[in-house]
Amino acid sequence: MAGLLAWIVPGLGHLFIGERARGLAILITISVTFWGGVAIGSVRDTVHPQIRKAWFMAQICTGSHALISYKWGQAVRSVPASPDDDTLAYWKSVETAVVYTGVAGLLNLLAILDAITRADPASQRVLATTRAARTRGAR
Amino acid sequence: MIGVLAGFFLTPLPLSGFQHALLLLPLSLSISIVYKAVRCTNVRDIPKAALALWVTIVVGMYAVAIGLWLLYRLFA
Repeated sequence: MAGLLAWIVPGLGHLFIGERARGLAILITISVTFWGGVAIGSVRDTVHPQIRKAWFMAQICTGSHALISYKWGQAVRSVPASPDDDTLAYWKSVETAVVYTGVAGLLNLLAILDAITRADPASQRVLATTRAARTRGAR
Repeated sequence: MIGVLAGFFLTPLPLSGFQHALLLLPLSLSISIVYKAVRCTNVRDIPKAALALWVTIVVGMYAVAIGLWLLYRLFA
């Protein structure tokens, strides 16, 4: 459940298991990174599975953000662009935007796995034992 | 209001080469914050640890970039 929530909205998985500060940090950081990327390259071409399949696999890890951006981009693309259309991105801006949104997705994948681990009591016991062993080793 | 906000996402930013290099700063800050939010046991340690990681990434990446640029200038 925590993993699913973390995929739908980044950070929500941590908020669900009671990790408020951690969840808010993840929510704000990933959302700002994703939409900052979209603002750099425009919504038209940033999330485009037909052109960039591999990057789309990373972007879709942000869940609702990627789906909203994809749907919005589809709506914008359905209107044919004229050569002097200012919604057409310069290629460098699109590349930067794709990296920003892709990295946001991969960071959320990390957050999803962390939320799943923190929600599972068995994993928590293993982590606590490992940390205790490390602390004893450091001494 | 909504139109102005939507316009912000519809028009791409015309960025120059130097401005692209500066975009490394916010991206590496995001990576540092999320990575440390996942790794740190105590939430209070996150800001300090994220800042240290951010500085390390930025210094490392710009050092590699300067090194590669110098190599290019040397052999070009």
